[in-house]
Amino acid sequence: MKSFSRNAVGRGLIAFAALALVAAPAASAADAAAGQKKAAACFECHGADGNSLNPIYPSLAAQTPLYIYYQLLQFREQRRVNEQMSPVAAKLTDNDMTDIAAYFSAQKALGAGQPVDEARSGSGKGAAARYHCGSCHMPAFTGQNHIPRIAGLQYDYLVAQLRGFKTGARQDIDGTMASSAQPLSEKDIADIAWYLAGLR
Amino acid sequence: MLNSRLGISLLSAGVALLAFSSAIAQQPAATPAAAAAAAPAVPLIPPTWAQGRSAEQEAANLSPHPPGLSSLPVAEIPLDKIKLPKGFEISVWASDIPNARSMVFGKNGTLFVGTRFVGSVYAVVEKDGKREVKTIAKGLHRPNGVAFKNGSLYVAELSRIIRYDNIEANLDNPPKPVVVFDALPKDEPHGWKFMTLGPDGWLYFQIGSPGNITMPPVTHAQIVRVDPENAVLETVAAGVRNSVGMAFHPVTKQLWFTNNGRDWVNDDLPNDTLHQVTHKGMNFGFPFCHQGDLIDNEYGKGRSCKEFDPPTFKLGPHVAALGMRFYTGKQFPAEYKNNIFIAEHGSWNRVKKTGFNVSRVVLDGKGKVVKYEPFATGFLQGETFWGRPADVQVMPDGSLLVSDDVAGAIYRIAYKK
Repeated sequence: MKSFSRNAVGRGLIAFAALALVAAPAASAADAAAGQKKAAACFECHGADGNSLNPIYPSLAAQTPLYIYYQLLQFREQRRVNEQMSPVAAKLTDNDMTDIAAYFSAQKALGAGQPVDEARSGSGKGAAARYHCGSCHMPAFTGQNHIPRIAGLQYDYLVAQLRGFKTGARQDIDGTMASSAQPLSEKDIADIAWYLAGLR
Repeated sequence: MLNSRLGISLLSAGVALLAFSSAIAQQPAATPAAAAAAAPAVPLIPPTWAQGRSAEQEAANLSPHPPGLSSLPVAEIPLDKIKLPKGFEISVWASDIPNARSMVFGKNGTLFVGTRFVGSVYAVVEKDGKREVKTIAKGLHRPNGVAFKNGSLYVAELSRIIRYDNIEANLDNPPKPVVVFDALPKDEPHGWKFMTLGPDGWLYFQIGSPGNITMPPVTHAQIVRVDPENAVLETVAAGVRNSVGMAFHPVTKQLWFTNNGRDWVNDDLPNDTLHQVTHKGMNFGFPFCHQGDLIDNEYGKGRSCKEFDPPTFKLGPHVAALGMRFYTGKQFPAEYKNNIFIAEHGSWNRVKKTGFNVSRVVLDGKGKVVKYEPFATGFLQGETFWGRPADVQVMPDGSLLVSDDVAGAIYRIAYKK
């Protein structure tokens, strides 16, 4: 039988399964305190408390732990490619990933500090409703399970991701975002990103 | 491909009405002025799993479960929770196989395992009574279907069939795959394939409905077959929403398959179904009629279930009946001969979960179902699941293998007395 050097996979999965399926208050096996130490390399771009100060990097505070874990897995396995993230994720074990996810998901989201423009936000809100974004991302866009929180993420980052899903530059796990992004116009993308970036 | 172009335009037309009406229903959040300013130039399509969902059903807060991308360490797989009939026992046969789904044996006993979400195909080999897992392909696009013929492994990706020749002699250094057939639709929803080799040497697989409930293009909602020697594609059966399990009856050599029913009717309708293909030209009713006797609220208007071929058996609502195989081994008691085992992946579109079992179907001599019962249960504990059966496969020694795409493992069920 193979040896199980990647012991963490399972512990993470159990922990997240518990979170996802019975809404347990905390992941018992994933260790947020250990995650804080392991996440040091993340802080420069994503912020020490997971609130990014640079619009091209997404905040991770209050992000769903399963999303953070699965995206790190995707980066490590080269199913999502990014020149900054891929080398960082390449060095992480599953245990590291679930710990880091536990740390960032427990931080308070401060929002992206997006200036408010009522008309533009209104158009983005309408577009987000018409395109059914809340069906998966939840009505307040706070995410669930492996579906990310998108409320309060950075405008530039959101625009880049939506464009990436539309062109295929960013692959998603199950194809849902590739399909969803096809009908988006550049204006839709800008409006939706503006609206989401203004949420907490 | 001409057909798939046609398909896309038909699909868009089909879902446009649905999307339009639900867009209106969800509109109150936007001010009239803002909505008018951003009037859509193209039809707006909800996520395909949400097609057909009513405004009231949104409150139930149901959506598909997260995909399995990792694996449980063997020590943490809670197999003690699994309940089996008396005399049977279950053990972990191989583990650390993220997203393990469809299985097929090679001629020399290698087990090949396809995946839906991680792009890999695995080979499991026995060595000194232990199993070794090798990743023989990475970066494929939803390589869910696997079949074996003349020393070659055939893999069904989302939109093409590829082949690895003389694979069992080259597991550590697999050859570059040969493309067998690539004129298949590229739709992601229900685009991953279950594939099996027919007694006629053709590869059988499904082209699913590109969404929960929609008017499918003529290319979709079918079971088809491809002649791997000549790259010819034929329709085997139509009106099939999405079959992720099929097998040929060991005596009659007819094709049997499982089908996943539509979502968002209600918790108890429609059933997933078991079918047999007895002749050419059969149509099982999707999207007009479900489970042989339930006319679709929208697409069934003016139609009758009498126009279509009924299923052989109703398996229960939302159970997600996936891989199925006939029991052709000699190890289990005699009454199991030519029974069907079905991996039921388990429900998401139901308030109280159901499925998450391996089930057993007993047929009489005429192919009529005389018994349908759970065989392996316990993947679901209360409303929480720790694993999801995706496929079953009979081993050369008569044991039954079960793949689990959430725990990332394969179990062996054996009869001991």
